[in-house]
Amino acid sequence: MKSSALSRVARYLVAGSVALTAVSGMAQTGNPIKIGFITELTGPWAFFGTSCVAGLKMATDEINKAGGVLKRPLEFIIQDNQTNSSLALASARNLDINDKVVALSGPTSSDVALALYGYAEQQRLPMLVPVAAFPQLTKPGTKYTFRIEPSAVGWGYAMAKFIEQRKPGAKVALMHSDAALMRAIMAGFRYQAPRSKLTIVSDFLFPQGSSDATVQAAQVKAANPDYVIVSGAGAFDNVLTNQLLDLGIKPEQIIHPYGITTQVFGWGSRSVGSIYGTFFDHGLDKLTEEGKSFIARFDAAAGRPPSYVENYCYVTPYIFKQALEAAGTDDREKLRNALSQLKTKEFTSGVPIEFDKNGARKEYMYFMEILSVDGKRTYKSKQQYYIEWDPEVIPVYDLVK
Amino acid sequence: MSDASLLILLSTLSTGLIMGAIFALVAAGVTIVYGCVWLPNASNGQFFLAAALLAWTLTSSFGWNSWWASLAVLALGILVAYALEWVLIRRLYDTPNRNVAYFVVTLGLTQIMSGMFSLTYAKWSDQFSLPPLIAGLTMVGPMPISNNRLLLMVMSLATLALLFALLRYHPYGRALRAVFQNREAAALRGVNVRAIYKLSFVLGSTIIFLGGLLFALAYSFDLTVAWTMSITAFAIMIIGGPGSVLGAVVVGMTFGFTQAIVSIFASPTAATFSYLGAMLIMLLFKPNGLFKR
Repeated sequence: MKSSALSRVARYLVAGSVALTAVSGMAQTGNPIKIGFITELTGPWAFFGTSCVAGLKMATDEINKAGGVLKRPLEFIIQDNQTNSSLALASARNLDINDKVVALSGPTSSDVALALYGYAEQQRLPMLVPVAAFPQLTKPGTKYTFRIEPSAVGWGYAMAKFIEQRKPGAKVALMHSDAALMRAIMAGFRYQAPRSKLTIVSDFLFPQGSSDATVQAAQVKAANPDYVIVSGAGAFDNVLTNQLLDLGIKPEQIIHPYGITTQVFGWGSRSVGSIYGTFFDHGLDKLTEEGKSFIARFDAAAGRPPSYVENYCYVTPYIFKQALEAAGTDDREKLRNALSQLKTKEFTSGVPIEFDKNGARKEYMYFMEILSVDGKRTYKSKQQYYIEWDPEVIPVYDLVK
Repeated sequence: MSDASLLILLSTLSTGLIMGAIFALVAAGVTIVYGCVWLPNASNGQFFLAAALLAWTLTSSFGWNSWWASLAVLALGILVAYALEWVLIRRLYDTPNRNVAYFVVTLGLTQIMSGMFSLTYAKWSDQFSLPPLIAGLTMVGPMPISNNRLLLMVMSLATLALLFALLRYHPYGRALRAVFQNREAAALRGVNVRAIYKLSFVLGSTIIFLGGLLFALAYSFDLTVAWTMSITAFAIMIIGGPGSVLGAVVVGMTFGFTQAIVSIFASPTAATFSYLGAMLIMLLFKPNGLFKR
């Protein structure tokens, strides 16, 4: 009798706890809103994908701890595309059909993003590209793809405007690798340079896999430019920079179209005084409190300050959150409409986020001067210039096909 | 001659010398192993990269200076080569058509090593560089050249000279050349052919390791350098004549200078393809390469 009463109590307790768990689960989470995040965790672009995911996870945790989106948890299904367009496409199909994701995101390589672009547009699956700058991702007629990073052709335009105000009539030398990103940047610069009254005195294109540029650095030195724009793929960027400095080009003459944290560490203390373009940096004049907090927390976790790559991937879940809340549902078409109508600000830096009819963002760029580089831990930089422009201020889609 | 022209001429010479010497070293390592063991080492580029990455780890993560890191990597390279020969390479010495088996085995090694680097180093950084062995600049006419680069040039050329001396004057070198030329005859003359196989594999692999170290000390690098160097080393070996160290050195140096000169008169892109074009033409007219082994 005693044992039967006890077992009855135990059964009630078990049943009660199961019911409580179920109720509390429904109230706190519901079904997750799934987004496919196809990025480069291995292969040549692994560093960018891995850095991106670090930022993404921080933001996703914050959103879910604060109650999720539409009272549901936000779940990014992260898949490694191995920096391979075919694998990325297979992942997209799988995420679309089997996981029924509401949107895609993740590529940091323009080549991979372009492969996903076709799928997203064809299947009417919204895609928010965090870090890929090739302009054709938002070519005219694009409906479902949205690009957070400004177009690379625009970076070239911004550089010309920066040099124009710094030294009118300047002579400029170009040294860059033969990669899609660099070709696009230089196309924008070459278009804008004469309009900004700048003269290009030498222009060197290096194939991928180059390892020495001493001869070209000597030719650049002989051309006596005011500025040298340096943009090498991977480690070649460092080689170009060091060989120019070896031959007596001053750091103040060197402009890098873009710089992430590891690049600045690589350029090192020899490059103090040189300039790099960026879209987010811990040395920006105006950082929001959220931005400062993100930098401090990322630094504590990763041992280095975040760059624009991590920032864009940190911002991505928040953009989805705002768009999903504006849509009021996880319906793909309504999410796409909400993204296209979004008018907000990047909450880490306060720069505007809004997309034009093709999904290109209202574009902007900072130019920073390196003040000091302290080994592989941190560096100091100072904002020298900020510019915003309309995505089609120059014919970006004609300059790069 | 104006200062500007002299600057360009001197930079061409310095680039040709250092690139040529590194190309020649790596190709010599590849050709020694191929000529003796008949082992076309498809993973030579990964060996090259492994040396560079290990040195980077020792300098950046453990704070070693570049001298100690280089010596440690070289010592480790010799041990790894011995271990690899013992575990893997010697098991195929008596396999018929072993060059094909070796090629497949080293392709597998390539995949494993490249996967390992991709899962580790590729996540840590997209570019790597080592602190210089020595600091400072020296003016050579109007051209400032870093002392580190000058030292590396001297070290690369000295290593090539030592390699020649070893192959020409040392009994091991003579035995190695004998096996290169005719295995059966060498065995009849009392040469321990299997021991020479082992020696040549270890020597060739160590030279490739050394090439990777010198490259990493001269330039920043990323993981793609493995493929570039692998293709270049094979191209040099084929043009120079498989198994000919002299061919590897002559063609390696020629490649270095060709790249530097073509990049002035045409473009850096044309320079990169110029040696591959040369390889195709060479294969058409002299399929056995420029030099006999």
